[in-house]
Amino acid sequence: MNVTEPYIIFELAGASYGVRSQEVQHIELLEHVTPVPNTAPSVEGVVFSRGNVVPALNLRTRFGLPRAAHTQSTRLIFLKVQQRLVALVVDSAREFRAIPADSIKPVEETLHGIQGNYVKGVATVKDRLVLLLDISAVLDREEIDAAASLTAESPATVPANA
Amino acid sequence: MSDDAPPELQPELLDDFYTECDELMGHIRAHLDVLALRLGSPADYREALASLYRSVHSFKGICSIVGLRPAEQLAHAAEEVLRRLSSGESAPTAETFNLIGRSAHRLEQIVACHRLKQPQPEIADLLEPLLAADGRASRPPDATTPSSTESESAAGPPADVSPLVAHSEASLWHATFSPSAELTQRGVNVTSIRERLSVLGTIRSAAPTVRGDGSMSFEFILAVHEPPAAIDAWLADGVVLSPTVPVSDGRGGGGDYNTAGPNFSIAPSHIVRVDLGRLDHLMRIMGEMVIHRSRLEERIAQLPGDRSALQEVNLGLGRSLKELRAAITRVRLVPVAEIFSRLPFVVRDLARETGKKVRLVLEGRETEIDKFLVERLKEPLLHLVRNAVSHGVESPAERVAAGKPEEAILSIRASAVGHAVVIRIRDDGRGIDPRSIALRAAALGIALPETPSAGDILAVLCRPGFSTREEADLTSGRGVGMSVVHTTVRELGGMLSLDSAAGTFTQFTLRLPLTLSIADMVIVIAGAQTCAVPQSFIEEIVQFEEEQVRSVKHVEVIPYRDGVLPLVRLSRVLGTKPRTHVRIPALVISSERGSAALVVDRVVAQREVVVRPMSDPLLHVRGVSGATELGDGRPVLILDAAALTAGVVRPHTAEKSKPWIENAKPAS
Repeated sequence: MNVTEPYIIFELAGASYGVRSQEVQHIELLEHVTPVPNTAPSVEGVVFSRGNVVPALNLRTRFGLPRAAHTQSTRLIFLKVQQRLVALVVDSAREFRAIPADSIKPVEETLHGIQGNYVKGVATVKDRLVLLLDISAVLDREEIDAAASLTAESPATVPANA
Repeated sequence: MSDDAPPELQPELLDDFYTECDELMGHIRAHLDVLALRLGSPADYREALASLYRSVHSFKGICSIVGLRPAEQLAHAAEEVLRRLSSGESAPTAETFNLIGRSAHRLEQIVACHRLKQPQPEIADLLEPLLAADGRASRPPDATTPSSTESESAAGPPADVSPLVAHSEASLWHATFSPSAELTQRGVNVTSIRERLSVLGTIRSAAPTVRGDGSMSFEFILAVHEPPAAIDAWLADGVVLSPTVPVSDGRGGGGDYNTAGPNFSIAPSHIVRVDLGRLDHLMRIMGEMVIHRSRLEERIAQLPGDRSALQEVNLGLGRSLKELRAAITRVRLVPVAEIFSRLPFVVRDLARETGKKVRLVLEGRETEIDKFLVERLKEPLLHLVRNAVSHGVESPAERVAAGKPEEAILSIRASAVGHAVVIRIRDDGRGIDPRSIALRAAALGIALPETPSAGDILAVLCRPGFSTREEADLTSGRGVGMSVVHTTVRELGGMLSLDSAAGTFTQFTLRLPLTLSIADMVIVIAGAQTCAVPQSFIEEIVQFEEEQVRSVKHVEVIPYRDGVLPLVRLSRVLGTKPRTHVRIPALVISSERGSAALVVDRVVAQREVVVRPMSDPLLHVRGVSGATELGDGRPVLILDAAALTAGVVRPHTAEKSKPWIENAKPAS
């Protein structure tokens, strides 16, 4: 039996990633993000989406990759997972592709780095490797806070927390 | 056989089912109130018993339709017990009502779990005593075959209970007095009405109410032996008398206290039940209109030439929008009775468990508050009430030793104050001893000032993990409660405050906005960022000069009135670069945690904005409570004044006497 599932494929620091299109609400150009004090470094700020305040999570920072300036191709991918609405800031996103289940392989040991924990499988699409993300792990607040303490970037703080 | 609803059942039908369950449960609780607290005459009692029986029966019926078997079984067992009580076959005991009360609570849980698609709670622990109370080897509906016979009876009461109509020895009457200028001129006021009513019968309760339109009225409940004559004469004096039992089912119509007659089973046909989601949608559209209008205003201001005609239209539109907003807000309001109704049971059960004597006094049940807020207030209020009984109130022996009456009084009062609702929970128990709090705080590494203010104590109580009890008990003292109460109240844009005297009383006050969604804000700019500050927290806007700033124990302060105010520089909070000014504008903000001067670069405007909550866990941060937009689609952060004022260390009072303060110029 060969089941296929549609994925949205995006680029981040030269690698390809996939999220299940079922979890994607829409994709937008990145115009303005309002920074929010005291959030984890990977939370770039908030954007509006249909009246909702949505956190914009910079996936580069989240994965411990070097930051990059926003360009024309920078995209916001709005995800709806477990009642939450979160936007991912990614380098670019263009592709929509059905990936057959049998072309998805489990993650190899060698891939287990910071990113490895969030990758639930690797698919080969046209000779290209696509890392399929486990979105709930990517969005987990405790994980994000833990990652923040690893990268040790100091966020703005409210003065003199008594 | 599955416990779940048959898969073909439409989701809309299920929604109706849940609404119906809520409504019936409201009735069941109200009747239980009457029965368990022995309000009213024997006739009222019988009537309540019969109504309770009908409600439980209907509940069983609808549960059977959706195939919710455990609820059906449990309701059936409870119904049998009630049937025997109302037919006089068995005598009522406090134990029985306690059992029925617990069953009602379990039924509610089962429905809630069904709604959330969670595993349902067990019923065996209640089923057995119910069957035992029923006295004979009873016949719960067979668990393996659906009882189709039950389903058709859901619509009406069973035939065998109707003849329980009673003649009253004393009956409860409901009187509403609406004062007016004309009446006052004739010397008719609430005092004179109260006197005249007390001639008629015994006044059981009296409470002022603010109606949806802002007018005031007084609600009396009195027990009379003879039906009052000359109702018309009363009417001429602004008093409406009706022979009713007040129901705390919280489904009052357009702003009035629900006074359904003794027979609750039929809702008046002019009431429309609306899903809260639809009202939210309406409010959202309304919010967008507010934004469009502010854009329009900006555009008009940019037009060349004579703009007065357009401005007039714009102002008219603004007024209509304000009215529309008020009207939508009113539709969303429900009486707080909805959360009050279960408190008597909680208090009674807890008092029994802890061996304490507590009298619960509920006031202002009819005070109205946004439905959304009511839902979210349930837990915090329950927590405060449990705390009051298990921690605040002393044991009867302790009370007597302290020269107090054995029975403690726990009073909960809701009232409307302007655009806010204030709920006060007060017990006359042992109060909060600052020294023991300070000791506990020190053990956790928190330093308290030598003479901590109520605000300091509250801040400590609300810290996650703080508990004054050494061991956690079942009902309270797990050390998470107060922090949850505080967080919830803050998320709702409200304030929590504490007042207490050791040995005398403890009082918590919740102040909440009447409704969420739209609020008045002052828009400020700091560095590159625009922010909004809720106007309700702003005392005034001042200007001062940089050279007036002093540093006290590493905290910047400016002279303000007779003392000093700590400075909070918004640009620093936001991590942006401030502009330099000769004169610095600042908002004096104050909350239950203290006051501070919020330094900004520029105060831009005062605006009515649509508040969008920041609900994602990634955004649960100190200092920011939500976001809004001002017409360009960009999120503007709404600052949490309470957190900003709590973040600064208040300079010690002794510092006030330092000479530089006396020489300093007062801030203008």
